Amino acid sequence: MKWATACLTGVDSSVAVSSGGELFLRFITLTSLEHQDLSRCKKMMEERGELFLEKISMSRSKVAKLCHTFIKDGAKILTHSYSRVVLRVLEKAAAEKKRFSVYVTESQPDSAGRQMAEALRKLNVPVTVVLDAAVGYVLEKVDLVIIGAEGVVESGGIINKIGTYQMALCSKTHNKPFYVVAESFKFVRLYPLNQQDVPDKFKYKADTLKTVQNLSEEHPIIDYTPPSLITLLFTDLGVLTPSAVSDELIKLYL
Amino acid sequence: MPGPDKEIDLTERIEAFLSDLKRGGSGSGPLRGSAETARETTALLRRITAQARWSSAGDLMEIIRKEGRRMSAAQPSETTVGNMIRRVLKIIREEYARSRGRSEEADQQESLHKLLTSGGLSEDNFRQHFAALKANVIEAINELLTELEGTTDNIAMQALEHIHSNEVIMTIGRSRTVEAFLKDAARKRKFHVIVAECAPFCQGHEMATSLSKSDIETTVIADAAIFAVISRVNKVIIGTQTVLANGGLRAVNGTHTLALAAKHHSTPLIVCAPMFKLSPQFPNEEDTFHKFVSPQEVLPFTEGEILSKVNVHCPVFDYVPPELITLFISNIGGHAPSYIYRLMSELYHPEDHEL
Repeated sequence: MKWATACLTGVDSSVAVSSGGELFLRFITLTSLEHQDLSRCKKMMEERGELFLEKISMSRSKVAKLCHTFIKDGAKILTHSYSRVVLRVLEKAAAEKKRFSVYVTESQPDSAGRQMAEALRKLNVPVTVVLDAAVGYVLEKVDLVIIGAEGVVESGGIINKIGTYQMALCSKTHNKPFYVVAESFKFVRLYPLNQQDVPDKFKYKADTLKTVQNLSEEHPIIDYTPPSLITLLFTDLGVLTPSAVSDELIKLYL
Repeated sequence: MPGPDKEIDLTERIEAFLSDLKRGGSGSGPLRGSAETARETTALLRRITAQARWSSAGDLMEIIRKEGRRMSAAQPSETTVGNMIRRVLKIIREEYARSRGRSEEADQQESLHKLLTSGGLSEDNFRQHFAALKANVIEAINELLTELEGTTDNIAMQALEHIHSNEVIMTIGRSRTVEAFLKDAARKRKFHVIVAECAPFCQGHEMATSLSKSDIETTVIADAAIFAVISRVNKVIIGTQTVLANGGLRAVNGTHTLALAAKHHSTPLIVCAPMFKLSPQFPNEEDTFHKFVSPQEVLPFTEGEILSKVNVHCPVFDYVPPELITLFISNIGGHAPSYIYRLMSELYHPEDHEL
């Protein structure tokens, strides 16, 4: 199992994979392994594995159910890059017949924002793609900012695609609510105090780490947003203020 | 026959309470204090538990939820009704769990831990019948009522720790809790109070009269003078109508101004709010802030012609974000606004947030 996780993180170094993998490991090993028979143990582990998968696949819907009431009719929403959770939230709001329009940042270097815009166009939501540099410009028109997260750290801050920290700083200055939507398996046992504290294995893609000599010339693909800039976190455990996140993590790991 | 008579009596009482709620919340007039509403709601819920027909905890919870929905719909801005219903629902869950012999901590909240260790998608049915459940629930509701009766005194008891001699305290409008708080401190200390009158209902005037009857030096100022006067003030102590789930407040109109002025001068803002005012609502959700009353207070009908050309609004409530608040003083002690989520998880069960 540990080998499999290492293999996975070797291919796609993302925070969500690492935290999800860790939780999965704990989940299936936390059951009583008193059975002498190895094959029975194995079968139990498989069952619990399936159960875990089932639970977390429902979590996205739970998050969407909590968040869509915060989107008022006529709202203008700003989001960053491509996030399936944010997409689900907006789907739910659109299904509730709310009218809203969305601004998505392009999100270089992989232009994931365009993918998000395509998906939103299919839902008949008016969407505008803006440059990453245009966040400050567009914020005065926007009512709220909703973004996803790749990882939620112990302090209540988040790790997400590069550009999120900027967006959070600008929203704080403009006094716009900054909402984060994340499933609970993304909670990770990290406590970064600044951007440098985030481990390199998350900041750069795995193949970059392997091939490149001088890391300081590479562009990081994620950044850390401190909890003071976040208004609320929507998770399948409920609506949390950033200070409540560490409580949840303690409950898990105690 | 005693059976149907009791039921008719019960429905009559519920109807009377509902119409009282609908009337009582129409703006000015004898604004009934939230403490009385909380007490009456709890007493009514106790009566429902005692007199309605139910055989298992699940039935009782359904009945209470149904009545609860009607009661909160009667006066949505009076959140204490909903809060008391959620408290009673949590009491029922706890008593049920205790009867079943499990520890209460175990399966109450969703958590990552529960996600990992539970053996399946468990749904607690609350269907089992326990004979002693009725008596236990009624006893627990009685404890809740005793707690409600003592709240103002508990808060007032903490006054001496926060108010020192020769201080200037500012407050806004009229809050029975703050009144008791200040009067208790006045027994041993000498201090000065400035009350902002809080237009258009001007409840600040009554507050000032009441305070001066207890020999407290009081000054009344207009709302516009708040910023001018606040540089001389040591502390701001206010009451509130509701405490929201993120630690923010839904307080009387004008409180946000006072809070911003206090922040600008780095004056501590202390909120005296009993626990029954804590509500699981968030400020940006729909329907949190829609209470307006007759604009007669702002621009009277005697103004005549101008009324057809002008839009007049008279909102009752104001939102104060948690960053502007220094301390909450409640009947169980003092807390920082970032701790409110914890108190909420102790008082209410997450499934009851939506009645």
